[in-house]
Amino acid sequence: MTAIWAIAVITFKEGIRNRAIYGISIFALLLLGANLLISSMIMQEVGKVAVDMALSTVSFAGLLLVLFVGINLMAKDLDKKTIYMVLSRPISRPQYILGKFFGMALLILATISILSIFAIISIFMVKLSYPGYFSRFSWPPILLAISFITISLILLSALTFLFASFSSTSFITLILTIVSYIIGQSIMDVKALVEAPQAVGIQVSPVTVKVVQAAYYIFPNLSIFDIKLQAAHGLPISLSYIFWAVSYGAVYTCLTIILASIIFRRREFP
Amino acid sequence: MQRVLPIILILLLLPIHVSIISKVTEGKKLLPKGEGTSYVLPPPILKIMALEFDGLASDFLFLQGLVFFGSTSERKERPRLKEWEWRWFYNILNASTGLDPYFFDPYYVAQAHLTWEGNMPRETNTLLEKGSRYRDWEWMLPFYIGFNHFYFLQENEKAAFYLMDASKRQGAPSLLPQLAARLMYKANRTENAIIFLQEMIKRTDDDALKKMYETRLNALKGILFLERATAVYQDRFGRRPERLDDMITKNVIREIPKDPYGGEFYIDKDGTIKTTSELR
Repeated sequence: MTAIWAIAVITFKEGIRNRAIYGISIFALLLLGANLLISSMIMQEVGKVAVDMALSTVSFAGLLLVLFVGINLMAKDLDKKTIYMVLSRPISRPQYILGKFFGMALLILATISILSIFAIISIFMVKLSYPGYFSRFSWPPILLAISFITISLILLSALTFLFASFSSTSFITLILTIVSYIIGQSIMDVKALVEAPQAVGIQVSPVTVKVVQAAYYIFPNLSIFDIKLQAAHGLPISLSYIFWAVSYGAVYTCLTIILASIIFRRREFP
Repeated sequence: MQRVLPIILILLLLPIHVSIISKVTEGKKLLPKGEGTSYVLPPPILKIMALEFDGLASDFLFLQGLVFFGSTSERKERPRLKEWEWRWFYNILNASTGLDPYFFDPYYVAQAHLTWEGNMPRETNTLLEKGSRYRDWEWMLPFYIGFNHFYFLQENEKAAFYLMDASKRQGAPSLLPQLAARLMYKANRTENAIIFLQEMIKRTDDDALKKMYETRLNALKGILFLERATAVYQDRFGRRPERLDDMITKNVIREIPKDPYGGEFYIDKDGTIKTTSELR
């Protein structure tokens, strides 16, 4: 346990020191500033647009973090061969993967927390300028949406470890992660579309339907964690949904990490 | 020399860059555009492409439509928008609400512009019905649908149905059931429209929209005034006036009100008051 914790702390520190994290934060701050500008163009539901902007920014910045900081954290060890030094110590490979993963999860948690504070400030400022246009607005769904974004990012970063455990370069990991992200976010809509294609007047072959249905079970369904729309309109989210969504995230993340450590244990280093 | 040369080059290139940028933007404006296409990707496809950013994509589609519509306000030609442009405007509002059916602004803009100027009350109602289904706490949307049925489509029974639906929702003004009852009588069309409009103005806080509604209200008040005057004329002389000027010469009214849209009021063949501007 101490070994895992030690690796987690090192990973976290290494991530925080990464320059990319500053770039991502500045980018996010700019977007949150743009929130004030864009909200001023809306006539009625200013609150909805402000929340949309803020939550999307947090989510997008988190995605950049996972893709450009997270992947490097493990890839650097593999690319620069520093992994030999780590593995020559009394640490098993699964411990290494777990430690790295916990470090990355900590990094996501810390970054999202800081970004959320800025996001909340930006919503608050819009609310201060247009107090009359926040009719169906409440904070709890927004905080819930941020927590869901965090869960989804942790799940995605678990996937990066799975891909890194067998791919030879970090570039392949990056591509695979991006593809899984896109599939994960759209699989529900795609499934709905191919199962009822007449809605947009297209034809879909039965093979495609089967492929999509198979993908639906294999790839993570990230759209489960997307409750930005509900948060923006202050729509109710049931407790049971929260429970099932969190369970789904936890189970999928565990499965992915376990699979990653199995593959990584069998991996041979040149 | 080696140090000065790059600086000289930069100083030389900067003004060239600035002059080129204006040239090239001008050129870009003159490039042939895909005019005449009102196509917007269908909402299910957009939903897939938007990934997790459905809400944001909806906001941007709406803003895209709004910015386009605003940019046409400088146009001199009449009608201001071409047929396909109205269609595109409708499609983009439809796409925006396809991504986020709870978003109120597209419905609000559709009601303000697509019905009166765009002459698309049926399409607008399809849009508003989607909104009314999702935003089931909102009385304004069925109220708008009712108004469109009554005023543009002249389907008073449907209008009354939607007004009753609106009256059951939270915050609805208490006059809605009465208004619904009034619609059952075919008469008093203009007067009812004025009641509708006054209610819309009360709920509008955007200055430009408010002004637009007020212009309409004034035009309708002018029509109402003339309608009442023709009724008085008929009482007095036993027949309808042939032209509006008849009422001035016979001292029924002192003057004909001005159409705020710049047209002129006249009496149509069927005896109703109309205006050459068609209220646009």
